[in-house]
Amino acid sequence: MKKVQELERLPLRPKGSSRDRKIQGLDVIICTILVIYAALIIFPFWNAFVISISSEASYLKSNLLLWPTELDLNAYKQVFTNNQLWSGFGITMILLIGGTAYQLFFTVITGYAMSRNKWTGKNFVMNMILVTMFFGGGMVPYYYLIKSLGMMNHIAVMIIPGAIDTFNMLLMRNYFASLPAEMEESAKIDGANDLVIFVKIFLPLSLPMLATIGLFFAVGNWNSWYNAMLFIPDRSEIWPLQMVLRNMIATVSSNIENPEAVDGFSQGLTMASIFFTIVPMMCFYPFLQRFFVKGIVVGAIKG
Amino acid sequence: MQLTTIVQRNNPFRKFWGKLWRSKYLVLMIIPAIAFYIVFCYVPMYGVLMAFQKFNPKVGIFGSSYVGFDNFVKVFEDAKFWLAFRNTLIIGSVKIVISFLGAVAIALLLNELRMIKTKKTIQTIVTFPHFLSWVVVSGFVFSLFAYNGAVNSLVEAMGGSRTNFLADKGFFFGMVFASDIWKEAGWGSIIYLATMAGIPQDQYEAADIDGATRLQKIWHITLPGIKPTAILLLIMSVGGVLSAGFDQILNLGNDLIREDVNIIDTYIYYHYVSGSGNAGIGTAIGLFKSVVSFALVITVDRIAKACGERGII
Repeated sequence: MKKVQELERLPLRPKGSSRDRKIQGLDVIICTILVIYAALIIFPFWNAFVISISSEASYLKSNLLLWPTELDLNAYKQVFTNNQLWSGFGITMILLIGGTAYQLFFTVITGYAMSRNKWTGKNFVMNMILVTMFFGGGMVPYYYLIKSLGMMNHIAVMIIPGAIDTFNMLLMRNYFASLPAEMEESAKIDGANDLVIFVKIFLPLSLPMLATIGLFFAVGNWNSWYNAMLFIPDRSEIWPLQMVLRNMIATVSSNIENPEAVDGFSQGLTMASIFFTIVPMMCFYPFLQRFFVKGIVVGAIKG
Repeated sequence: MQLTTIVQRNNPFRKFWGKLWRSKYLVLMIIPAIAFYIVFCYVPMYGVLMAFQKFNPKVGIFGSSYVGFDNFVKVFEDAKFWLAFRNTLIIGSVKIVISFLGAVAIALLLNELRMIKTKKTIQTIVTFPHFLSWVVVSGFVFSLFAYNGAVNSLVEAMGGSRTNFLADKGFFFGMVFASDIWKEAGWGSIIYLATMAGIPQDQYEAADIDGATRLQKIWHITLPGIKPTAILLLIMSVGGVLSAGFDQILNLGNDLIREDVNIIDTYIYYHYVSGSGNAGIGTAIGLFKSVVSFALVITVDRIAKACGERGII
């Protein structure tokens, strides 16, 4: 009896419960830590931006921590008249549009075929694909393969070998498999073949997933430099943007042997070029973030 | 007449082709994939035979002569390889630990943050660097740690003297870890945040009634709740310990310290792909790396299963 009385006296929402809206000391600490961390993430961007809009003299005086002391937009003029950067931008746009469409096409049709149950040899193909996730030939045999395929110094080397991304293919397969199989059966009864079912029923239903995977491919293509570095060493006119930038940064950083002689202006130009490559991403990212987050969450839960 | 039809119907070959024909469109869809995996994955796997050859690029894999395990002997006697191996182990394992701790810490903090709008903004900021390439991140790092850069300015303002950080190989490791946290920890936290969101709310309510503090709830509910996910991700990351981040090391290195901070992959790249070393030896190193990685995954998976966790294989 006494216990019941005690229970009745307890407040409905005990102190410290997650529904309790009162801000506690702990909340202040958590918020402070996170804001400091976010500031540390932003600082390199801000610092690079300040350098990119500063004059060489004020950079060499080295008080450019937070605010430009002497404005100089010459670096951006240089960037926008730099042919190498614009040609890199053009190549990257080709990769972004052509490469993404190409990867999406092959990854999605493979994912669909692997999600359907009834066809001869499916398990064999599945095992064949899974083995490649654990074993690979390594960099050297791959390099000689590309060489013997005649793709060296050719723009195709940045697109063709990326046809299927196994992880995203499995993601797509799981998504198709999660859609109700009854749709396929009833369409079959109505006389539709697998191709029609895929294009008319499954593809329209998986548009959100297609968008997610397509965005991951697009980011990959936008950031692509690895294949260009390995396989296009001699033709800088077909380097993508990131490879042009990489070359630029390597030239500036190779001056570190005698640090006082670092050319402040080239530093400004490099930072302006970095902004040239990341501004498109910065503009789109806040709106596309939810797609990326969805992609990784679905992948981790199902994979 | 009837007998022949029955025989035909039960003919295994006919059955096979009939089944194949009925799923012809699916087979059509998978043919490019089969071709792709054979050409770009299985041909290089066949190419590991180069590890047992004195490879001659002019005559290729079919013309080169076999030398048994000579390439492996050369690799294991190479001090530079062992340096790269040591660097790989250090960088790879430290990165696994710090990126795990960083991701969990950020996820916990974000999960406890009650201001929804602030939470969304911070999440957008901390996940963004994941989408930059290591080329861009290395540009930031070089600029921050340059002789005239922000870090040196800060050091000077606090009374120290300017140092040439980028030429210091001891500092390189710290730079690798810091840039890895900066780029990936926020993104890594998403998966833990999603797991935390999936923990049943009634557990917290029950804890509230028992009068648990917030720290107690984190320790006894949230952390055990993300444990299976954490173990799964740790097992998967162990397979990549010997990769240690080729993109990152290649872009953050510079001519002065390059040879001292090689990891296995950059060592192969500098000496056996863009360099003049014999491709057979480069392949041998690559093969060694994949065999050890595979053994590591299996071992860790077994250990996890023995401890009663869900493995991956």
